[in-house]
Amino acid sequence: MEYIVTIIILVGLFVILAASFDLIIGYCGLISIAHPIFYAIGAYTSAMLAKEAGVPVPLAMLIGAGAALVSSILVALPSLRVSGDYLLIASIGFQLGLIELAKHFHEIGGAGGLTNIPPFLIREVGREAYAVLVVVIAALTVWFVRWMATGPYGRMMSALRDDELAFSMLGRNAIWVKVSVFGIGSAIAGLAGGLYAHYFRFIEPDQFGLLASSAVLTMVVVGGMRTTWGPVVGAIVLQLLPQAITFFGLPPSVLGPLQGIMFTGLVLVFMFMRPQGLVAASDLWRGREGGARHD
Amino acid sequence: MTDVLRIRDLNKSFGGIVVADEVNLDLHAGRVLGLIGPNGAGKTSLFNLVTGVVKPDTGSITLDGQSIDNLPIYQRARLGLARTWQNLRLFPSLSVLDNVMLGPRDYPGEKLTSLIFDARGVARRQAEEQDRAHAILKRTGLAGVAQSRVQDIAYGQQKLVGVARALMNDARCLLLDEPMAGVEGQAYGAIQRVVRDIAESGVAVCVVEHNVAFVRDLCDEGVFMFAGKVLARGTVGELIADPRLTELYFGT
Amino acid sequence: MLDLAIASQILWTSFATSSYFVLFALAFALVLKVNKVFNFAQAAIMSVAFYCAYVAVRVLGLNGFFGLIACFAGGIATAIAIEYFGFAKLRTRKASPMFVFIFTLIVSQFVSYVLMLIFGTWPTTIFPTMFWPVSLVGGIAISAWDLPALAAMATVLVLLWAFLRFTRWGQFMIAVADNADLAELYGIKKDRVMLVSMAIAGAICAVGMFLYGTRAQVQPSAATELMLFAVAATIIGGIGNLWGAALAAVVLGLVQNSSILFIPSAWQGFMLYAFLFLAIVLFPRGFHWPERASKLKRKTVTTLPASPSEANGG
Repeated sequence: MEYIVTIIILVGLFVILAASFDLIIGYCGLISIAHPIFYAIGAYTSAMLAKEAGVPVPLAMLIGAGAALVSSILVALPSLRVSGDYLLIASIGFQLGLIELAKHFHEIGGAGGLTNIPPFLIREVGREAYAVLVVVIAALTVWFVRWMATGPYGRMMSALRDDELAFSMLGRNAIWVKVSVFGIGSAIAGLAGGLYAHYFRFIEPDQFGLLASSAVLTMVVVGGMRTTWGPVVGAIVLQLLPQAITFFGLPPSVLGPLQGIMFTGLVLVFMFMRPQGLVAASDLWRGREGGARHD
Repeated sequence: MTDVLRIRDLNKSFGGIVVADEVNLDLHAGRVLGLIGPNGAGKTSLFNLVTGVVKPDTGSITLDGQSIDNLPIYQRARLGLARTWQNLRLFPSLSVLDNVMLGPRDYPGEKLTSLIFDARGVARRQAEEQDRAHAILKRTGLAGVAQSRVQDIAYGQQKLVGVARALMNDARCLLLDEPMAGVEGQAYGAIQRVVRDIAESGVAVCVVEHNVAFVRDLCDEGVFMFAGKVLARGTVGELIADPRLTELYFGT
Repeated sequence: MLDLAIASQILWTSFATSSYFVLFALAFALVLKVNKVFNFAQAAIMSVAFYCAYVAVRVLGLNGFFGLIACFAGGIATAIAIEYFGFAKLRTRKASPMFVFIFTLIVSQFVSYVLMLIFGTWPTTIFPTMFWPVSLVGGIAISAWDLPALAAMATVLVLLWAFLRFTRWGQFMIAVADNADLAELYGIKKDRVMLVSMAIAGAICAVGMFLYGTRAQVQPSAATELMLFAVAATIIGGIGNLWGAALAAVVLGLVQNSSILFIPSAWQGFMLYAFLFLAIVLFPRGFHWPERASKLKRKTVTTLPASPSEANGG
């Protein structure tokens, strides 16, 4: 039972990550793969606040999300002011640099990881309650991304992807739209990080590196970019597949690379065989009102 | 006559190519000014300089008396400067209506705080803007294709979408870059009528156009540009009649 | 107290070790210039080249010469495969720059996992030992690796320069780099030229990896960091400027290696990311995403055939 609950929680967390990443890379077209580092910032901030400063866990999680928001804006603003394409290099540098930095800070556990993170809900109410919390937040995230994407912001993001210059000439602030979407997506990832930390109670720098980046990217690409259900389908399929191979009892030295090959191999297959992903997006934007109230 | 847009001593060169050479130009409210001149005379470049797409080397521009030299593109647009593009630059992943809906100076919901904390107000204002967009589509003869993709409609209609999108701005000053190029039939008359209407409502309009007949019928005044310089200003008839300018225009 | 002998020793060693940094930067900058791709898959090319040499020397017991041949074969074959099965297909499909970039990144990750599965994560070298005899010249210890490495770097630099300058294919590459569509109009086969440019980049990576693998330990994920170093050098050196990238690589190599004097060695790995960050903050104008630029150029060329001044504004 505990195993199944843990799987549900992992799937839920990856739905949150994939849906929020889809907002950034799919809907807004911002090229960055550093999503896991904001997950890490949320996890570490929340864990340290709860562990060292005794901050109540829910508050610590929210502050963690806030930290992810602030740091993502600090990365995005200088690079996006010059050109959108800088964001990619800046964010990879930020991700790998911060992981390298975390490995050398013994105050946050160093390369060995941060242990004994205070648990939340598990003791008082039970693991199932935590799973419910994660699933509810995952559902809210999916709903929120859909709400953003089909509302006035969705129209702006579509136009921005098509033609940034024409978009600006209409009086729309392209940098603001990009930075705010990047910030919101990253803040959601930060919240997911807090949820991870206080359930599993152990985090280490290396779990937020390029393997995590390819995993989240795979979920969005395989599931289907710019769709409501694509990231959900992607997160479920790609979280369950690697779980399936853990049953073979392979040693970790084989299991790790095998999972990596699966993630990256699937992306390659999909990029060439079915670039639109499992759930295909329409190439014409439709708002929620969708022309229902006139004609 | 009120000067809406005032350009003073504008200079710009790319490497060795001069695209603006001491340009001084005023656009008046309610008047249509035609920019004519051969290819490479700096007409589109002037639009790019005015809208902030390209930064000038020296010179100043004011809109309604306010300096816009240091403003980014989007802030100039919010002060009431709108333009269309020679190569359209419509948004292919949006319908005609949604292309136009992006045009208001103050787009409801662009501020995240209002989007989240005043969702009702945003929805109401979106509905208002949608009514306005429908009115503009009707005025430009696009009401029938409001829900179509922009790449599915005729080229002349696509040009009109560009104009309609700019009209949502309620602009003080409207710059039209070759609105007639490639347009024939119904759309031709529609564009002419719409531009006239706009000017009569008190907007300063500036048109870059190679179709001399269109310029003559539409514009109150013309300016002849060559090699980044404003060579002459007068009625279009006068400019066309000037043998010196004709020679420059057609080359030898 | 920092004395002159130590300082000059560090300078010399840093200079010698910058030889492979220069080669990696050169390969990266070349593909960026000609193929207009931020080729993060270069890490895959580098790793495969190294492990081919490793198999030839350590597994099959062949001598160093065959190791070098295997290194070349692995690097060039991987580069060609990436271009032929990847980039060329994505080009015909007119995939967005984002799509192409994700492809390069995923390929490099994929290859690194495959290598991890085969060879494990334990660091290794091409030859059983990486200690080279040292001779003292004027108080500076010069290892038997240093001079051949620098000679190899210099040879590659001269060969590449001469190739671009004097050969037909070199000229084709420059033409494609300037304007691929225009080159195509003049009868230059863009796809062939891009294949050649990738093959050359593969060969340069092979030389670099052979040098690196005879002096330092390599594991499947090591190439990523080496490649990020090349990215930083390319950004600082100026996009489209091969020799600028090479020079930037030398400078970055010197700074990183001599940082031993000022900061604990544990922090040296962090320097790379500091470079990447500084490159973007301090040299933003030197960096333009190539696909966008070329797309813009195409657009204006097709719509404004006879007006260079108006084309500038788009």
